[in-house]
Amino acid sequence: MKPTVGFAGMTHLGLVSAAAVAGQGLKVVCFDSDQALVDRLARQQWPVLEPGLDELIRSNGARQHFTAATGDLAACDVIYVAPDVPTDDQGRSDVTDLTALIHDAVAAMNREAVMVVLSQVPPGYTRTLGVLPPERLYYQVETLVFGQAVERAMKPERTIVGCADPARPLDPRLRAVLAAFGCPILPMRYESAELAKISINCCLVASIAVANTLAELCERIGADWSEIAPALKLDRRIGPHAYLAPGLGIAGGNLERDLATVQRFADSRGTEAGIVAAWLRNSRYRRDWPLRQLQERVRGADPVIGVLGVTYKENTHSTKNSPAVALIKALTGYRLASFDPVVRASTEWHPRLTVADDPLAACDSADAVAIMTPWPLFRTLEPADLARRMRGRVVIDPFAMLDRAAAAAAGLEHVVLGAPLPGDQQ
Amino acid sequence: MTLSHAHGDPVKPARVVVLGAGGFLGRRMLTACAAAGAEAAGLGSRDLDLTDPEAGAQLARLLRPRDVLVFLAALTPDKGRDSATLMRNLAMGRAVCEATRTVELAQLIYASSDAVYSFATALINEETPAIPTDLYGAMHRTRELMLAAEAKAPLAVLRLTAVYGADDTHNSYGPNRFARQALKDGRIALFGNGEETRDHLYVDDAVDLILKTIMRGSIGVLNLVTGRSESFRAVADLVAAQSGRNVEVVPSARQHPATHRHFDVTNLIRAFPGMCFKPLADGLAATVGAIRG
Repeated sequence: MKPTVGFAGMTHLGLVSAAAVAGQGLKVVCFDSDQALVDRLARQQWPVLEPGLDELIRSNGARQHFTAATGDLAACDVIYVAPDVPTDDQGRSDVTDLTALIHDAVAAMNREAVMVVLSQVPPGYTRTLGVLPPERLYYQVETLVFGQAVERAMKPERTIVGCADPARPLDPRLRAVLAAFGCPILPMRYESAELAKISINCCLVASIAVANTLAELCERIGADWSEIAPALKLDRRIGPHAYLAPGLGIAGGNLERDLATVQRFADSRGTEAGIVAAWLRNSRYRRDWPLRQLQERVRGADPVIGVLGVTYKENTHSTKNSPAVALIKALTGYRLASFDPVVRASTEWHPRLTVADDPLAACDSADAVAIMTPWPLFRTLEPADLARRMRGRVVIDPFAMLDRAAAAAAGLEHVVLGAPLPGDQQ
Repeated sequence: MTLSHAHGDPVKPARVVVLGAGGFLGRRMLTACAAAGAEAAGLGSRDLDLTDPEAGAQLARLLRPRDVLVFLAALTPDKGRDSATLMRNLAMGRAVCEATRTVELAQLIYASSDAVYSFATALINEETPAIPTDLYGAMHRTRELMLAAEAKAPLAVLRLTAVYGADDTHNSYGPNRFARQALKDGRIALFGNGEETRDHLYVDDAVDLILKTIMRGSIGVLNLVTGRSESFRAVADLVAAQSGRNVEVVPSARQHPATHRHFDVTNLIRAFPGMCFKPLADGLAATVGAIRG
């Protein structure tokens, strides 16, 4: 008999993960104590933007049930606790609400059920919880990637499960849930699993830092990172899915949280983690690349800047640590017009900001345009159209959303990460 | 801590008092204050010997409450690189600290130097550890710490890179010396082939940034740099081209490994958006023209 699975906490992680489990044919109870949120979910109004989420939940139908009654968790064999864990400006997690939710779920669950903490927690958290017998408490590494969450939840590369004692077999009901995804299952100690998630993110940040460091060098010596990166991906030691696209540093909050955790633990345990500080410094430096380019290239009185995109990446509603927002806040001496397909820029970020209804309208009479988020929509922009609408010629396009040859043909001063800088003599 | 502003919009100071008013930068500061309509007073070493044990009390008598004090005075390396010079410079710093404990200033601006940084970091910003490698750098860093610990005034520390321009009385290696050599001798002598890269700040830009710091009531630390470094060879070639005569740029056998210095200018852009620096070629043309007369 298939186990019934409960999920407590219906924010980004819980909602997507529950939908993925239901998508494997299992019955899922989705609990959140926020009745208003549950009502919206029941009306199929999702609090997050994720490609494929709407279709997945609709296809799950009655298998995925939303409730604000904790008592409904009593019917579950396996209960995931999965609220998003907030972080502060220093990347520190606040697990207060998570811990409270775990206690609520323990009080509601039946005496035979097992609990899985899915929210990301600092190493050592799960073992010290002390809320259940060790054999009924697990920690599972979440692999949420904003904008790709559904795809990754449905087709995980592997599942990492933290256990009190990895020598003991997994609870058969949890194993049945995990087996539905058809990927390798890696049981390990709680602490190893908790650190595994952080380790994955550190490897990603290392790749990003390498790409950004060398992309900047490309800009200065006439090389082009877009020519180099494919060669690296064909190297077996690096791989085709390596994070080698240059960007504007790390953002979104999750990677920053893991780096802060490593720094904090290294500091308290006396281990060497200077490289993490270097990654963070590189990230902050690259975040401000558009600001430096604009300062270098835009002259004249009271310039107007068009800013396309404000979310920290495409296909998400999140602006956490967004380079676009950082740029908008820094451009205090300029007039701004912005456009984003999902999020409306706030005048709290900048007093002289107007919001346009379409991307070209944000470019009207602009002295320069910065394409700050790689929304697919921006790839459809014709450089000649921008050139017609703009007053100046500078287009800061970190992610090369515009066709580079067409931009040159339109007479634009097209500035791309990792490509030789226009007009640079160095 | 990078620079933060007390005033959202520029506010004219009650009065600006410049210590080191007889120097290259000090003279320009007074001129710029006058042009901006700000009352200013200059004190040079002839007016007040800041190394005197009584200098603190004397300076306090010359100051008024709500003055902005711009501390430019220093014995530069051409006046001595030894510990005696260091101690005299520190005595000046102590005098300023003492004065600020008597008179309530609106702001204290300290003109420090990029010599507080070592050459170990490829790209320097305000968060780069200040680890000086010579007594001149140690002097500036020590003064920074003295002022931060003992001066009773809102403090802005401005770390200036090499400033150049007409009327620079120093003759250290760089644009001004090159200009004089080019015009006088028709040749510019380089160390090695002038491979070292440095940031060069035109004096008017330096003064403009100090004025902006005053007008915004800023506190914190900021590097006054352009963010673009050029080799001494490139500077020499530009000076030669601007000189209007046939100038030979002469390399020499390199005695020491070449060092480079580059700055991340992001914090300056954030502090003063829209700041436009005079291009090096234009600044050198103005400098050569002024020296030529």
